[in-house]
Amino acid sequence: MLTSVCLAQAPAARQATPAMPMPAGLKYPPLKPVVIPEPAVVKLSNGMRVYLLENHELPLVSGVALVRTGNLFDPADKRGLADMTGTVMRSGGAKSKSGEQIDLELENIAASVESSIGETSGSVSFSSLRENAGRVLELMRDIMQDPEFRADKVDLAKRQYRGAISRRNDEASDIAGREFASIVYGRDNPYGWQIEYEHIDRIRREDLQAFHQRYFFPANVMLAVYGDFDTAAMKQQLEKIFGEWKAQQPPVPPFPKPPDAFSPGVYLAVKPDVTQSFLQLGHWGGTLRDPDYPALEVAANILGSGFSSRLVNRVRTQLGYAYNVGAAWGANYNHRGLFQISGSTKSATTVETLQVIREEVEKMRALEVTPRELETAKQTILNGFVFNFDSPSKTLSRLLQYEYHGYPKDFLFQYQKAVAAVTRADVLRVAKQYWSPDKLTILAVGNPKEFGKPLNTLGPVRAIDLTIPEPPRETKATPDSLKQGAALRERMREAMGSLAKLSAVRDLSRSVEMAVAGGPAPGMKIRQRTLLLRPNILRQEQELPFGKVIVYSDGQTGWLSAPQGMQPMSPPVLEQVRGEMFRTLPWLLSEEGLQANLVGPGAIEISSAAGAARLEIDDLSGLPKRMIYSAPGASAAPDARIVETFSDWRDVGGIQLPFAITVEQGGKKFGDMTVSELRINSDLKAEELAKKP
Amino acid sequence: MRIPLLVLALPLAVAAQSLSDFEKKVTGFTLPNGMHFIVVQRPSAPVVSMHTYVNVGSVDDPKGQTGMAHMFEHMAFKGTPRIGTRNGAAEKAALAEVERIYDQLEQERRKGRAASQARLADLEKTLRAAIEKANSFVEPNEFDRIIEESGGVGLNASTGMDATEYYYSLPSNRIELWFLMESQRFLNPVLREFYKERDVVREERRMRIESSPQGKLVEALISVAFSAHPYRNMPGGWASDIENLRARDAVPFYRNYYTPGNITIGIAGDVDPARIKALAARYFGPLPPGPLPDPVVTVEPPQEGERRVTIETAAQPLMLIGYKTPAETHPDSPAIDVLSLILSGGRTSLMYREMVQDKKIALAAQTQPDFPDGKYPGLFLVFLVPAMGHSLEENEKAAYAIIERLQKEPVDAATLNRVKTQIRAGLVRRLASNSGLAAQLPAYHVAYGDWRKLFTAIEDIDKVTAEDVQRVAKTYLTKNRRTVAHTVAPEGGAK
Repeated sequence: MLTSVCLAQAPAARQATPAMPMPAGLKYPPLKPVVIPEPAVVKLSNGMRVYLLENHELPLVSGVALVRTGNLFDPADKRGLADMTGTVMRSGGAKSKSGEQIDLELENIAASVESSIGETSGSVSFSSLRENAGRVLELMRDIMQDPEFRADKVDLAKRQYRGAISRRNDEASDIAGREFASIVYGRDNPYGWQIEYEHIDRIRREDLQAFHQRYFFPANVMLAVYGDFDTAAMKQQLEKIFGEWKAQQPPVPPFPKPPDAFSPGVYLAVKPDVTQSFLQLGHWGGTLRDPDYPALEVAANILGSGFSSRLVNRVRTQLGYAYNVGAAWGANYNHRGLFQISGSTKSATTVETLQVIREEVEKMRALEVTPRELETAKQTILNGFVFNFDSPSKTLSRLLQYEYHGYPKDFLFQYQKAVAAVTRADVLRVAKQYWSPDKLTILAVGNPKEFGKPLNTLGPVRAIDLTIPEPPRETKATPDSLKQGAALRERMREAMGSLAKLSAVRDLSRSVEMAVAGGPAPGMKIRQRTLLLRPNILRQEQELPFGKVIVYSDGQTGWLSAPQGMQPMSPPVLEQVRGEMFRTLPWLLSEEGLQANLVGPGAIEISSAAGAARLEIDDLSGLPKRMIYSAPGASAAPDARIVETFSDWRDVGGIQLPFAITVEQGGKKFGDMTVSELRINSDLKAEELAKKP
Repeated sequence: MRIPLLVLALPLAVAAQSLSDFEKKVTGFTLPNGMHFIVVQRPSAPVVSMHTYVNVGSVDDPKGQTGMAHMFEHMAFKGTPRIGTRNGAAEKAALAEVERIYDQLEQERRKGRAASQARLADLEKTLRAAIEKANSFVEPNEFDRIIEESGGVGLNASTGMDATEYYYSLPSNRIELWFLMESQRFLNPVLREFYKERDVVREERRMRIESSPQGKLVEALISVAFSAHPYRNMPGGWASDIENLRARDAVPFYRNYYTPGNITIGIAGDVDPARIKALAARYFGPLPPGPLPDPVVTVEPPQEGERRVTIETAAQPLMLIGYKTPAETHPDSPAIDVLSLILSGGRTSLMYREMVQDKKIALAAQTQPDFPDGKYPGLFLVFLVPAMGHSLEENEKAAYAIIERLQKEPVDAATLNRVKTQIRAGLVRRLASNSGLAAQLPAYHVAYGDWRKLFTAIEDIDKVTAEDVQRVAKTYLTKNRRTVAHTVAPEGGAK
């Protein structure tokens, strides 16, 4: 039996090996100076800016036209428009040739032209053998200048989009990245919103044409060409090809900024069919312009970039919890990026891994990093710097990006200088200043049944609903849908306790704190205590910034007390109160004589004279996961809908009730309710509830 | 592991004049111990890429030890007797102690029901303590740290079915660092932190296979398509095998397969070939020569009928179809490569045009030859992703109809020429990357005995006729060579 796993001494021949130097003992010759090519910059007669860089190593010419546009300009009701415009510009062909004709012509000469529109820019790129460059540039111009957006390709793109939406929850890692951005940026703006079937369904060919027309004009284009050509001849050729394109439009406005507020916390997206949890932690990042950006890059490098970082060392190497773990300080050119720590671990160690990651972030904020860590991080960046110049085309595309985003040409060298100057004190300072524990948001995507410790060890958990909304459609009750609806309601009843237990709830008292995210008063906190006595008595006390407000109703009449005085309850408020009583979960599910109609997969609608509520089941637990209803008095338009998402279910006197509720109105987040106290059947008396202040 | 599905690797070839220009920049030499080097001089920027191609893959995993090649790849980043330790001598003793206790534990476990539970518990506890003790000497991730600090980029490794590859790039003035680090890790690997790394490798399997519908489907396909050949096991190994891998067993694996004659190195960048030769002799010369390892002798028996396998998942439908085809070095391979591009290379390909663009029944329909790898007879893979409202069945039928057309009549000259042109241009584009050259030249050297095959393969492609394409379609894309793997919705709705 082998007694040692140290192989060095095994075969005799290897002992004779002459001593090798240690890495630190190696002496290197100086690095050869890097030759940084200088592209030629010209302006065509139509205002288009052109950047040319000759390189004759291979018989190829390639290039890209950068266009100031982006999906940040998507209209809220037609999300996906920019991206679809980018796709169909190419696939839908030009006026002169269909998409298929262009495909054939390009592939016959092993060339390509592709177009796309991303977050903050659009691009049309080409690649060609030297001898075909002129013809390929003409095709590129046709696609850029006169795209035809043929209807069948618009239809194809829409189908591809729908297919992608239907598949967006198939891979857990995709869910984690996407939902994390939505949490931090918010779901009500183009940085964080999601594209749904209804948005794709609304997009028409005319929308693509209008989007293209608004953003594709010569003064809004920067064209870079690289490769095996003669600069003077190429200038002439480009003038000939693009000079006739005279379209004009007003300058493109600045991109919208991402919102400042978001709801930090612990989030869970349930994905039952995985053995690993996919984790994201973080919050806002910054911009490249920020003077602290170099120090933050160094700090993030020490925390979690590369194989020798703290996170890899602790989570992967020492604990063996993860194959994949890392951190990045997200900085964009002109808007805040995402500070993002990601990893994945077996379900059972989900919470432990998150705790360890949180600890490592805390350590970065508590103590200076070691001199060696600082040195490693700085040397990693500085010694690898030459790879920014390992191909001339990198220099060209960097120059283009800097110009496009309004950065100085020597930005990279400023960065290099700043990294060299970063100290341990700087790293500690930026970690303290920019990495905020009270904003550190945690997202776990996985199967909570297998989590070793429950996720709420880390704080109150908010559920993320991954349901892909179906396009709106009519729902009618049939004997069959009522039967299935009743069965679904029965499952919810069982999950919450049982019909008998729910029916036995006579009164309910609840204290909540509501952090208001949207609406007229974002950032406001409301404390609310609600006492409910079946069937129809409600008393609600609210602490508002301007004082205490008490509402009382017996279902027929009521009063309202505010610092300004008392007043009888107005009919709209009364209607609101009745709705609130009706939607109280134990009663909504146990009230006799109410029908439950199946209105979608896993969704029922329960209605009475007091209102109607749609309940969606969480397939894993059987508990209701969302409740959707219309704000009283408002129209039935979709944007008046209120969506309550339930999570953090706990046992209260033998039934399950949610302790965290996220409220959205009209697709925008309104606030998060956290329950601090919840009791049932504590013998509330009608007289006490009716007591006036 | 490298099983790309959506990125299809093209076969290679180039125009003759490019080759003669290029050939002048390439040097090859073999050390007396058998290790072979291919060096490409590309002085345009002061950087260099290095690629170590070890001719061992998961097909060589010993019985009951699937995942061993991959596990060793991870261990090759743990350092040497001097790099990665705080006290080499004490660590050596501590690692030996871990193995001694682990042996005792296994002995006790082998008693089966007669095993003493108390002793098992005791040994498990002692083992944990011994592992902790050995770990206390470790300077973690020191090997990686030295390389990253020196400006190393793209540091990584991969284990495929056929080969294990290690690679990164450096500023070219630091090339000696690579020689030192790379030679020492293969001369003197220390299997430190083996059992923690085993957990990491287990996590990798959870991530790539167990938590991904596509990963699960690939695993199902190959485990059914191959009944005997080790292509039936994913490079990561099976969960229970991974959980029982031993450092003790990694030693003979390393000795068998990491002999110099089984290793080929590619270096591309701003380097002086004469200096590379001198450094190679100095640093890799001390590796003792050894016999070349046994190849896999198991030959997959002929398939005698279609095989079908399903996996239940709540995810949207996917299908993989694999047809048994010969190894990449077989004379029919060029025609099969052309066939694959006709079917799914680019926007003009038959499957894209018909299934994605015109009938709009698929979001994607792609093919790939030499799956899961090319050294042994493998599969011609068809990957189908149905569009919403269209079934797998409909997609499968449409794919078969296209294949049948290619079997019935020869492809037109324009299509054939278009594909050949694309292959040629693809090769020219590949010459622009140090890391791409460093990776490909050793692979071609090993497969064909000459790196020039990377370029001369175009001659074989040029000789492919429409009749050849028709013939290989008829010969290989037949029902009885076919294995179909697809997803199905779980019975009784989502779990």
